[in-house]
Amino acid sequence: MCQSKITRKVIITNSEGLHARAATLVAEMVRRFEARVKLAKDCEGVEGTDVLQILSLGAAQGEQLMLEATGEDAERVLDALIDLFASNFAENGENSEEAENQP
Amino acid sequence: MKFADFISREAIRADLAAVDKEGTIREMVQALLDAGNVDAQEFESIVKAILKREELGSTGIGRGVAVPHTKHPSVDRLVGTVAVSREGVDFASLDGETAQLFFLLISPPDRPGEHLRALENISRKVHDDAFRRFLKQAKNVEDIQQLLDEADNNQFG
Repeated sequence: MCQSKITRKVIITNSEGLHARAATLVAEMVRRFEARVKLAKDCEGVEGTDVLQILSLGAAQGEQLMLEATGEDAERVLDALIDLFASNFAENGENSEEAENQP
Repeated sequence: MKFADFISREAIRADLAAVDKEGTIREMVQALLDAGNVDAQEFESIVKAILKREELGSTGIGRGVAVPHTKHPSVDRLVGTVAVSREGVDFASLDGETAQLFFLLISPPDRPGEHLRALENISRKVHDDAFRRFLKQAKNVEDIQQLLDEADNNQFG
């Protein structure tokens, strides 16, 4: 039986881009759901559970990614990822990595 | 961005002595100090900043690779180094594996683009199984330097 694929676009608003901490948060988020997720920049799709592959996108602020999910939690994982991107990968309501560099 | 643009060749270490995360970071920052890439009076501040970053979340990105890093005002350009641990170090990586290959980065606070491009380059190259294998098997600093040069010439990834 074919599983339907859901796709969403997201624009990176985080000034650091999809850096190591952001990529790790994305991978951790995807692992919580029963879904297979791919992230693509241009035509290049990578596994959403793999921090190393996510980092290889080098996705910077202002760039657009296509998120693609299949599986039982496809809708929910994409909702969660959209929220994560929109929060600029904040933890506890502030972007910890940027906050630590404030004077 | 190529490895040649940010890796300090003199600070490369082929056989890390450290057995834990903090020791690894200290040894690599010491290597950068010995190579003249960071100031002695900034050593502790840099190590502390990298360790603080690790507290936010491990930089063990999987496949035996870790990318400890920090921004620091004492550097005016991105500087980094590579080190290999034969035994592997527990870096609390997401995939549960120990880390054997380390790319440590220190970047100026106001240039996130450079840092991201360095991470992109590192992750693309280490995604190549052969590159990782050869790096883990490197016998000395010259081997590692040669591998980085070959990677910059697109022979990997």
